[in-house]
Formats: sequence, structure tokens, C-alpha cells
Amino acid sequence: MQEPFRAVASREAEGGREIAVTVRNVGMDFDGVHAVKNASFDLPKGRFLTILGPSGSGKTTLLRMIAGFQTPSSGEIFINGEAVSAVPPHKRSIGMVFQRLALFPHMTAAENVAFPLKMRRRDARTIPERVERYLELVRLGGYGGRRIHELSGGQQQRVAIARALVFEPDLLLLDEPLAALDRKLREEMQLEFRRIQRELGVTTINVTHDQREALVVSDDIVVMDQGEIQQKAQPIHTYRQPRNAFVANFIGVTNFIAGTVRAVSEAGDVSILRGDLMLAGKIGDPVNPPAEGDKASGAIRAEQIRLAGDAAQLSKLDCMLAGTVTDTIFEGERMVYEVACAAIGDEVIRVFDHDPAAHTQFDIGESVFLGWNARDMLVFR
Amino acid sequence: MSGSRSKSVVLWTLVTIALVTLSAPTVVVLGASFTGGNIITFPPDGLSLRWYARISQASDLRNAFLRTLHVAAVCTIVAIPVGTLAGIALAKYAVRFEKTIQIYLLLPFTIPLIGSGIGLMLIFGNAGILGQLWPVGIACCVINLPFMIWAVTASATGLDPDLELAAANCGAPPLQVFFSVTLPAVMPGVITGSLLMFILALNEFLVSLLLVDARIVTLPVLIYNSIRSIITPDLAAISVVFIACSAVAVFLLDRLVGLDIFLKSK
Repeated sequence: MQEPFRAVASREAEGGREIAVTVRNVGMDFDGVHAVKNASFDLPKGRFLTILGPSGSGKTTLLRMIAGFQTPSSGEIFINGEAVSAVPPHKRSIGMVFQRLALFPHMTAAENVAFPLKMRRRDARTIPERVERYLELVRLGGYGGRRIHELSGGQQQRVAIARALVFEPDLLLLDEPLAALDRKLREEMQLEFRRIQRELGVTTINVTHDQREALVVSDDIVVMDQGEIQQKAQPIHTYRQPRNAFVANFIGVTNFIAGTVRAVSEAGDVSILRGDLMLAGKIGDPVNPPAEGDKASGAIRAEQIRLAGDAAQLSKLDCMLAGTVTDTIFEGERMVYEVACAAIGDEVIRVFDHDPAAHTQFDIGESVFLGWNARDMLVFR
Repeated sequence: MSGSRSKSVVLWTLVTIALVTLSAPTVVVLGASFTGGNIITFPPDGLSLRWYARISQASDLRNAFLRTLHVAAVCTIVAIPVGTLAGIALAKYAVRFEKTIQIYLLLPFTIPLIGSGIGLMLIFGNAGILGQLWPVGIACCVINLPFMIWAVTASATGLDPDLELAAANCGAPPLQVFFSVTLPAVMPGVITGSLLMFILALNEFLVSLLLVDARIVTLPVLIYNSIRSIITPDLAAISVVFIACSAVAVFLLDRLVGLDIFLKSK
């Protein structure tokens, strides 16, 4: 498990891309409460980074420090290699899309987009043409004369994006701007953000609590909890190789089975014992591996568990558990089964069936068998 | 059904009583001003505009009216910057002594105007500026300023704090943020407050009575002085002109910002 992390880390470092943003040991205290603790990361130019975390994890505070609205209590932020703690927000070349958009209500869409250009004293003759070009970029060509309240939620989003990008900032910040939208529009705007970001190649930092959004739009994900960075990795690595139980739990649907570590091998294999049940897995966090006798828990994704009516169908899998279906939830593209397993004290394991139309469907109360491979279970202390 | 009907009967009765009571003085003055007779009376004794013709000729009334406008203008011009900045500050920042300031804002309801008037008279007397018009305007501003502050605070409280951050993010230095974003956002409150200040100063009587002398009487004081001798219908006519001025201000308010925000301001 250790190798892929090193590989990811070194590929970035050796990529030779210029670093746009460096966050170095940044901390933020509010009246003795540590909102952000000792956060550090580098963001190469042109990449799309998402800071993902639950509310209160410090992700928005970190973003506001980068924007210059708050000054770090400790540490330093560098933009294009320059320390910016002493630089006021209006002198930083940063475009930002706010959570509540913060469009100027007394101006039209075009006036909103023109505002950063006027404030930055761009040549007045070029402003109208440029504003129109950016309105077209966000697919609002011809809407410039509309007042903000005459636009729909999605159109307002687009105006906010155009306003943040029109002066070609070094850095684009997105402060959960999609949180208030309904799901369909939100998913549409996520792809829109990705399209625009790729088209312009602008370095972007996005803040969200929506794991799907983080996975869909990002080149890199920083997962935060309680003011601390838990993991920084590409989306697929964040999902496949979570560094700790928090990340494993926060992203995706994960079952945890608690037990005691029995055997640890050099190759990263580990077994945990729960009652009479021995479960084989892999070490989740190579930096902080469990030792024999430790309390630990095995994390297994709901989609990596196979479900069958009789044990023989699962004989090729490393681990198997018997249980009883306690609930079935039909979500359209998948069926979620909740299965209580006697061997682990009737704890409920969640299992996805991604093709419910083609497969056998089980009813509540039916006896079933669960099976999975040892390589899919990550063991965390 | 009958319950809701009797409820609506009670409601409409109360509303009618309130409307009649509130409008009676205005209706009486309005009617009396059109009288054809020589004494003030209601219902009017015939219809004529002769008292309006009279007041348009009377230079003392006209001058007093112009002086009143002068006072109201001074009051409003001073109140706009002071009240706007104070209102925004109260709404936006954790101001020290905020509680004390809140109590100060209640003063117009608690301190008798005659008390404020005597205090101001002493201060202006010591400063040697009695007998001029502008101190009267300042006095009106001082005693009524809380109304201006309230109106602005009501607007500024609803202001999204991110708007100012967004402006800074767009590259606007602090002063520019204020003029291009903060001020337009609280403009309804500023307009409401200034018109309110203008009307209040226009109508201000008690404090003016103490601060003016015979050479610079304002209209309310002049009317008061007149009714102490003979009550003639020209006083009713000038009152109607007065009421019309206030009505114009209210009309402007409605057209500019809508009356609802005026009624909502704390």
C-alpha cells in the first residue's frame, strides 16, 4: 500500500510545474479555538484542487485566508512564490465565487462582470467587448443588460463565475457556490466549472462538503476534519486508498468492523479478530500501521461486497459472512441492502447491488451471504 | 362563519374609527381653509380661495416658510453623512458602548423636547450663535438624528457582509468599496431617513420656539404667535400648504424606495 502514495507524491514534485499556491504551516485561532491547525500543501499552476470536509472542518477559514479576508495566526501563504500575509485582498490577483454569490444587486449582469475590470483600471474601451466575451464563456451571451434579480439561480451562478474570471486572476477560489442549487443543476454546474477551468487553465481552489463534487471536478482533493488536513491526493487515490478511518468514512459508503489485530506482515497484510471471526485485510495507513494486539477496524466499501443466496457462489472470495436482510432501499441505479450479521454482534453491513434489475432481489428477513476480497478491506488503527 | 363575520365587523369598525380620528384634524383644517367668511369655522362658510390668495401675498408668511425650508435643508444635509455612517457602523461592527448608544437612540421618546430645547438654547447662547438660522437646523438634526440612524441601520442589517468582501476581491480599495457597494446597498435607508429628517425639521416647533427670535421666526412658530391674537382662516390655508409639503415628501418616499421599508425601519 505504501508504494502508490510515494509514486503520487513524487510524480507531482518531479512534474516540474510551477507552484501557484503554497500553504505553509498555516494555523488560525478564534478566541483559543483552533479553526485551522498547521495546514500545509502545494498547488501547482493550472490544477483544480478541492478542499473537502464537513461543516466546521476549517475548510472555509482556510479559503478565506488565501483570499486575504482573514490573516493566519501562524504560518504563511505564498502565491506565485510571494508571501501574501501583508497583502490586502484588493491587491491580490484572486477571483472568488462566494457561497451566496455576493453579486452586486444594484448593477446589471454586465456591470457586475465589468466591475473588477474598472477597479483594476483596465482600458475602458476594451471593457464591453471583454465583458461580452466572458458572458459568452459562461453561456450568458446577450444577458448582460439583465438585473441580477431577473436571472435564475443557475444564471446568477454563471454571472458570479464570469465576474471572478474576467480579469484573468492568478487564482480562482470557489466557496461552496453550488451548495444551494438543486441536484440536477448542481451536477450540471460541476461539469461547467470543470469545462471552464480546463478551457482557461486557471489554478482553482474549490471548497465543498459534497464528496461527489470533489471526486468529479478535482485534480487533487485535500480532505479536512477538525482543522487538520487528513489527506491530499488525486480523487481516485482518495477514494481507493484513504489514509485514515475519517477519510474512508467521509467519502463513499463504508462499513467498519472493529476487532483486534492478530498478525501483521511486511507486505502490508493484516488480520483482525472479531469474536471467533478472523478477517484478512491490508494496512490502510502505512505511516501509522497497526501492531499486533492493537484495537483496529477494517473498512470495506459497500460496492466491494458481493451478495448471494448461498455460500457456494462466494467461494472464490477471501472473506465471507452470513446475515439477515433488515432493509432494502431502492435508489434507482442501485439497490442498497442492509444486512445484520450474527458473527459481528448483529451489526449492520451495507451492500450495493449496482444492477438490481438483472440480479436476484432479496426481501427483508431473508438469509444471505456476504463476501469480499482481503485486498479491498483496509485496516486502520 | 358567523364567528369570522363578527370578527370582520369588529375589525372594520376599529379601522374606521382609527381612520376618522387620524384624518379628522386634517379634514377640518382643509375645509376651514376654503371658507368664504372672515372667521375660521368648520364646516366652511361658503367656498373660496381668497385665503390662499391672501397668504400668497403675505410676505411674513412666505419668508417664514422659506426660513423653515432653510432649517429643514440644513438639518437634512448634516444628518445624511452623520446618520449614514453611524447607522452603518452600528449595524456592521461590534461597536464599543453599543448598549449606551442604543439607549441614546431612545432619547427622543424619553426626554421632553422642552428639556432638549432649553439645553440647546443655553449652549448656543454661550457660543453666541443664537439669532441665526443654521443653529436651528443643527438643533433639529441633533434631536431627530436617531430616526435617521434607525432607517440606515435597518437597511444595513440586511446587507450581506460578503458583498463588501466580493468588492475587495474584485480589486476595490476600501473607500471604493464603500461608495460602489455599501452606500448603494443602504441607499433606501438613507433616502427614508433623509426625508424623515426633512419632514420632522419642517414641522419642528418647540425647540425652534426657544431658539428663534422675532427676526427669524419659522413657520410653525409664526402660526403659533398668530393664533394667540386673532384666529383668521389664512392660518388654516398656510397649514394646508404645510400638510401638502409633508404629503409630497411621503409621496417621494413611496416612489423612490417604497413605503414598506419606511414602515419596517426600526
